[in-house]
Amino acid sequence: MNERDGGGVTDDALIRTTLAGDDGAFGELVERYKGRAFAVAVGIVGDGDDALDVVQDSFIKAYYKLKEFRFGSNFYTWFYRLLVNQAIDRWRKSARSAEVPFDESWLSGDASPPGSFTYPRTPEDLARDRELGDALQRAVGALPEYHRAVIVLREVDGMAYDEIAKVLGCSVGTVMSRLHYARVKLKESLKSHREG
Amino acid sequence: MDCGTALGKIIAKADGLLPRQEEAELAEHLAGCPSCAADDAATVATGPVLRALAGIRAKEKAPALDAMWTRVRAGIEESRGTRRRASWIARWAWIPAAIALAASALLFYPARTNRSPFHPTSFDVAFEDVESDASTVALVDKGEDLPRVIWIIEDAKS
Repeated sequence: MNERDGGGVTDDALIRTTLAGDDGAFGELVERYKGRAFAVAVGIVGDGDDALDVVQDSFIKAYYKLKEFRFGSNFYTWFYRLLVNQAIDRWRKSARSAEVPFDESWLSGDASPPGSFTYPRTPEDLARDRELGDALQRAVGALPEYHRAVIVLREVDGMAYDEIAKVLGCSVGTVMSRLHYARVKLKESLKSHREG
Repeated sequence: MDCGTALGKIIAKADGLLPRQEEAELAEHLAGCPSCAADDAATVATGPVLRALAGIRAKEKAPALDAMWTRVRAGIEESRGTRRRASWIARWAWIPAAIALAASALLFYPARTNRSPFHPTSFDVAFEDVESDASTVALVDKGEDLPRVIWIIEDAKS
């Protein structure tokens, strides 16, 4: 995924220019990936301000580690490894990580008929259903950190299994089992909200 | 198809791992099972709701996100300054170390013979004759390890 902007500049070219001393080229990379990076970071840490710090720190780290980047490989995957580790570290340090116990009551209760219930699919729709947003945020926060990273990379960023495996430094099988676990937990929280 | 099997297939479908034939069987089950249909709807909704949640947070932080490069550049400059200071310290740290070493040498290894050499008191020491043509006398540390020569006097001169 060596992306190009409208001017056709590849990530590799921007990295080479940065290494040659032009910091503006690194600014292009920041502009290119900051939105996606924020979405992943906020999915893992939960809080918007923490996510901004994680994105900023990850880009700074990437800048100083740029010499270690192997040309021909994917900048995005390489950068995401830094980002996810940074986000997980942030989560561990945050007091919030200890304050979100998983509420087992979400997993109980019989299902009610589907009726006409539809889940929100856009930020605007979800903003109208704050409770659902909060319930999902709590459910995501209750997942073990690497399970959370997997579901966020897959569902928010749309990464392929092998890319997620590279980012997290594990096997595709591990990615799939973590994803399965995370899906079951989040599904239960959404279903519980619907029934409640 | 029972509900347990259906649940496994619902998750597999979300992962894109369910063959088309099995997907048709699952759809048939879902049509007649409200509980599994609710599971399916919640599973399918997970991705969009997570993306919507990230979208809300991004909207809240849009101004800060717009200024991300400014923040990153400031952070780079700041850590560049820190690194420069650390590198300056590393480059010149040998000077005080060398001065300390020279001072130690002057204190403990006097050049003139009329000054008595430093005698360490914290060691268990003893004088021993060492067999050699020059009749060298050695001061030896008698610690737990093997004896170690820490001072040598040749021909009764330090």
